[in-house]
Amino acid sequence: MTAETIIQSLASGLLMGLLYGLIAVGLALIFGLMDVVNFAHGEFLMIAMYATFFLFAFFAIDPLLAAPLVAAALFVFGAVVYLLIVRFAVRAKANAGMVQIFSTFGLAIVMRGVAQFFFTPDYRSVPHSWLGGKTISLGGIFLPQPQLVGAAVSIAAFGALYFFIHRTDFGRALEATREDAGAVALVGIDKNRVFALGWGLGAALVGLAGAIMSIFFYIYPDVGASFALIAYVTVALGGFGSVFGAFAGGIIVGLVEASTALILPPSLKSVGIYAVYLLVVFVRPRGLFGSM
Amino acid sequence: MDSEFASRRRRELIIAFCLAAIAAVVPLFVKDVYVQNIMVLTLMWGALSQSWNILSGYCGQISLGHALYFGIGAYTTTLLFTKFGVLPWFGMLGGGVISGIIAMALGYPCFRLRGHYFVIATIVIAEIGLLLFHNWDWAGAALGIDIPVRGDSWLKFQFTRSKLPYFYFALGLACVAWFVTWWLEDSKWGYWWRAVKDNPEAAESLGVVVFNSKMGAAAVSAFLVAVGGSFYAQFVSYIDPESVMGFQFSLLMALPAVLGGIGTLWGPLLGAVILIPLTELTRSFIGGSGRGVDLIVYGGLIVAISLARPQGLVGLFAPKRKEAAR
Amino acid sequence: MTAPLLETRGVWQRFGGLVANSDVSISVGRGEIVGLIGPNGAGKSTLFNLIAGVLPPTQGSIIFDGEDVTALPAAVRCQRGVGRTFQVVKSFETMSVIDNVIVGALIRNTVMRDARRKAHQVLEFCGLGPRAHVLASDLVPSEKRRLEVARALATEPKLLLLDEVLTGLTPVEAKTGVELVRRVRETGVTVLMVEHVMEIVMPLVDRAIVLDLGKVLVEGKPTDVVRDPKVISAYLGDRHAVGA
Repeated sequence: MTAETIIQSLASGLLMGLLYGLIAVGLALIFGLMDVVNFAHGEFLMIAMYATFFLFAFFAIDPLLAAPLVAAALFVFGAVVYLLIVRFAVRAKANAGMVQIFSTFGLAIVMRGVAQFFFTPDYRSVPHSWLGGKTISLGGIFLPQPQLVGAAVSIAAFGALYFFIHRTDFGRALEATREDAGAVALVGIDKNRVFALGWGLGAALVGLAGAIMSIFFYIYPDVGASFALIAYVTVALGGFGSVFGAFAGGIIVGLVEASTALILPPSLKSVGIYAVYLLVVFVRPRGLFGSM
Repeated sequence: MDSEFASRRRRELIIAFCLAAIAAVVPLFVKDVYVQNIMVLTLMWGALSQSWNILSGYCGQISLGHALYFGIGAYTTTLLFTKFGVLPWFGMLGGGVISGIIAMALGYPCFRLRGHYFVIATIVIAEIGLLLFHNWDWAGAALGIDIPVRGDSWLKFQFTRSKLPYFYFALGLACVAWFVTWWLEDSKWGYWWRAVKDNPEAAESLGVVVFNSKMGAAAVSAFLVAVGGSFYAQFVSYIDPESVMGFQFSLLMALPAVLGGIGTLWGPLLGAVILIPLTELTRSFIGGSGRGVDLIVYGGLIVAISLARPQGLVGLFAPKRKEAAR
Repeated sequence: MTAPLLETRGVWQRFGGLVANSDVSISVGRGEIVGLIGPNGAGKSTLFNLIAGVLPPTQGSIIFDGEDVTALPAAVRCQRGVGRTFQVVKSFETMSVIDNVIVGALIRNTVMRDARRKAHQVLEFCGLGPRAHVLASDLVPSEKRRLEVARALATEPKLLLLDEVLTGLTPVEAKTGVELVRRVRETGVTVLMVEHVMEIVMPLVDRAIVLDLGKVLVEGKPTDVVRDPKVISAYLGDRHAVGA
């Protein structure tokens, strides 16, 4: 193993990690807002990928151009999911935790079924996009362009999110609602509206990630499941509810995955991520950046 | 003293006995192998969910990683039988004990975690187990293990000609899981577990060692699930990592209890009786084309029930008196 | 005089830079009712939690019934005979009232039937007998307070720690509460109570300990304590001084 291979894999790990962060941040945002874990998050990613695929297949829109459209579509979808399902799930008095987990789990299963029904279980891919298959060479290290753009989008999205939460009225409403939903109602902010927008925003972020991932990943009904667990680990690693934690968690997960792949057989590359998650929470039960 | 309580306990036992007796004669009239198969699976998932319910329902530690214990049970029995000729009955016991020990070893660090951190830890640990078995050549790795047919016998727990022996074993397993739950419900463990679930700090102040309570629940729960896994391996006579340790098994163990009523005596069995036949039927009749309608029906049902009846379906059958509320 | 039932010796508790208790040494004799009072933020709840074993003190030791229990966790202290209630009630909401109390009774009764009988006795004692089979979540607030007491009594404590059990009750409810505490003492249980409602507590307690800014300010007979100028300036204010 040469120094070059190590640097090469760490660099790709970092790029992938930034994308993991982007996939996961919507989850963290929603959790921070209302203490709900969306167990259909992977399926949000899946439909974003399909949406990108069909925009390409029918209208020849490149995934990069499709990304904002997909994000907008996912925004609407996320808000609708909140209004139709989650709104009622959080009202449950008995077994509140269970109801949240299983209502979103059930939704995930439905979404997979719908995808199978309409799109068949076949693997699909976007065959020739602008960036697909292209790489850039930086001092002897080859970086795939789609991942590079994905990483840039991720950093930009995190920056925008930071600005949004701290500098805009809606962001402040979001913050206030997460601190004390009851008090917010008293000053005339409609809690449901804020939550719906929060779900929309969370879904839009994963939509963005899905659009970019469709450039270099196969698209199939179960694709979300494989990324969902990574997203949960990413969020939990950073600390539930912490947007910055998701960013850092994503980078850590990407780097750990890449380094594990250097040491262990490829089929075991996820073991490294899982082991790091366990080590972190055993030492810090609320994740790296969660409040203790 | 509190004779009403005693009579309710007695009534539960009698009802269970009657239900078991009815279940026992059903296959004498229902000869269809397809239906018998569904009945075996229903009883098995009922028993598994009942076992899962001990840790996650009564003690409140939601595990979505019980596939690990299911898989360990299946692998222990199968490996002992194929590699060393150890009879499945001993393998069943061995798998149960190993699972119980592993559950406590894992519980040691995990029970400090709360809420979603705990749930994710259980998922992740089961995934690690799955990946390790995938790469463990001696245990068949990804290819899995065929259990060689040695002829029908109770000793070797193999039956090729009839499903009935499997049915009666599964019925027995369901009865045992139910009875263990029933018995634990009115034992110090049962009270401690529910106290730990509702409010660990208050439980601690009343002398309940919260950590030990969780460990006890984990061990019992894992033991029973592993026995179920052993049974399943014999029943399908072929195992590989995905087919006994995949995440869907953890989910399938949780769902009947959640739908029937989590942390209740009858919930898991009720949930299994509704869910498993429904799953099998949708899969056979509308899911055959691989078009996902079965998933839509199934997932839709989960969403609908968890929203409409968060306390589970079991409440529909409960007498409308306050003291019956649990 | 026999050794006190409970003693704290030079107890300190720091949370980061905040000192919640500094060098607190108090003692509670057998059979006493002792009131622990003081303004908000005086460190009453912290001291209470240290005695109950929720957390270990940063420094100092806690002696209970002649044994150093400083290092023992809450569950073990309960075993030794320390029972407590919580300021913010912590009922087992999904369990019935009787089941709540059974949890407490189990520590001294290994046979379920005995635990159940004990729990019924305690419920009768606390006036919750008719509510035995109601879900704890269906109780009204004053009943929940009594359930807290019942649950703790079911552990057959030598020392009962009451954390603001009388606060926030209507005068009638508070009067029943005071009666209950008196009857508890008559059964031989020592009581240490944190309270805010001075008018109710003072006639009830044998001795009062006033905490202020994490330190013991004054201790003594309630009639003396309420007249103490230090107490008046720290906490009570002129109105109460005249009233007492």
